[in-house]
Amino acid sequence: MSEPLLHRFNLLERIVHWVVGVTYVALLLTGLAFAYPPLFWLTAPLGGGAMARVLHPYIGAAFGIAMLLMVVLWIRDMFLNRQDVQWMAAVHHYATHQRDKVPPAGKYNAGQKLFFWVQGVLAIVFVATGVMLWFPEQFAPARTLLSSARLLHYMATLGGGLFLVLHVYLGTVAYPGTARSMIDGKVTRQWARLHHPRWHEEQTGG
Amino acid sequence: MADTLTIKRTSGSASAFIPMDALRSSGPEYSKLVDISRCIGCKGCEVACKEWNDLQSEPTANFGSYQSHKDLTPNTWLLMRFNEIEVGENLQWLIKKDACLHCEEPGCLYACPAPGAIVQYTNGIVDFNQENCIGCQYCVTGCPFDIPRYSARTKTVSKCNMCIDRVEAGLEPACVKTCPTNAISWGSKRDMVAKAEKAVETLKKRGYQHATVYDPAGVGGTHMMYVVPHGDRLADYALPTDPTASPAPLTALNFLKRIGAWLFGFSLVGALGHLLAFGQESPDEHE
Repeated sequence: MSEPLLHRFNLLERIVHWVVGVTYVALLLTGLAFAYPPLFWLTAPLGGGAMARVLHPYIGAAFGIAMLLMVVLWIRDMFLNRQDVQWMAAVHHYATHQRDKVPPAGKYNAGQKLFFWVQGVLAIVFVATGVMLWFPEQFAPARTLLSSARLLHYMATLGGGLFLVLHVYLGTVAYPGTARSMIDGKVTRQWARLHHPRWHEEQTGG
Repeated sequence: MADTLTIKRTSGSASAFIPMDALRSSGPEYSKLVDISRCIGCKGCEVACKEWNDLQSEPTANFGSYQSHKDLTPNTWLLMRFNEIEVGENLQWLIKKDACLHCEEPGCLYACPAPGAIVQYTNGIVDFNQENCIGCQYCVTGCPFDIPRYSARTKTVSKCNMCIDRVEAGLEPACVKTCPTNAISWGSKRDMVAKAEKAVETLKKRGYQHATVYDPAGVGGTHMMYVVPHGDRLADYALPTDPTASPAPLTALNFLKRIGAWLFGFSLVGALGHLLAFGQESPDEHE
């Protein structure tokens, strides 16, 4: 157990990921408050409905910038390859903890790569439709355009929100040792061998 | 006359889609009727509206029209639009009293996410409560008639409230009271429909064979109706031919939201279920 820890994420990566994470959750909660009247009280932490309406777009702008930075930092490792296809075909074994039937993953497994791309594309949808809803008077009274923007903004919320639940569940409760990589940036070797065997090999040379 | 302010629908609540049943006798359902053929373009109604509702006056400028302002604003809830149109060989003013129509199915209220910001009463009035408004301007998008106006200063939206304080006290709205030719009348919806049909009949006898009542079914009828002399030229009056309470994307959105609520719920329950069924996967156990 005295094997040295492996460095997985540097300080910049951790900060950027936290900015994305915190803004995402704040946006999701205020967004759900606007979408579902029974959840309107979720605007309270930001100072009520009117304040949430003012802040939501600014938080969105911070999210957009951080997301862009995150894409720049990570895109190199995110391109899908043949091994990812094989991994994806065995995703049900991964989900049921049958690791001997799952092809070894590199720094990121296919699920993580897919999450990256889905959130990346959705971020574009969020920002594009969000700008329209931020300044509706620039487009009014374009009724169909602005209500389509609302529809798309919600669709992105639904897709992104469901993936977020999965992402947080897997990264915290389901796989102990993972969340640490976003706190001090380190993981244990056992963790790396279990979740990312090919990355472990690259890091330790066998 | 009792109970004219019984609430029917409130934005950001279930009643937005399933109107509340009045527990008490709910009093009459009112409507304004604007007989365009009787309007002489004096704009007295505009002044009365400003005066009664204590709205700040706004500087006007000559822009080559008899119209007082170019557009409605948060402080101008009523604007007589003087649409200059050639009818046959004559130039005519196809006047439109531009103000909230108080739809029976209000698109603004359907679109509003803020609980209590928009309220519809059983008497037909649709009112904005600025203290509950969050300034999202979804109502502006939701309105098929382009009526609500956003104020960047107050960060809230305003529009004609049908002089709700006068109506509550048994009076007619200020514009009705002031109109010197009785082009605007006020009464129960049923009486006003009857009056409108009679006016259309008279107009047809006078040679306006396309005269019609504007009370569009797409928004469930309105509580400000028009008698339109040139009913075949609604677009020239800037009256939408077929307004709908909710544009298709919003109808789709409301449907999707219901599915989405279940999916969000299932995702949380699903994560918990997965944890219970398969547990945590700790690296230590694999050593």
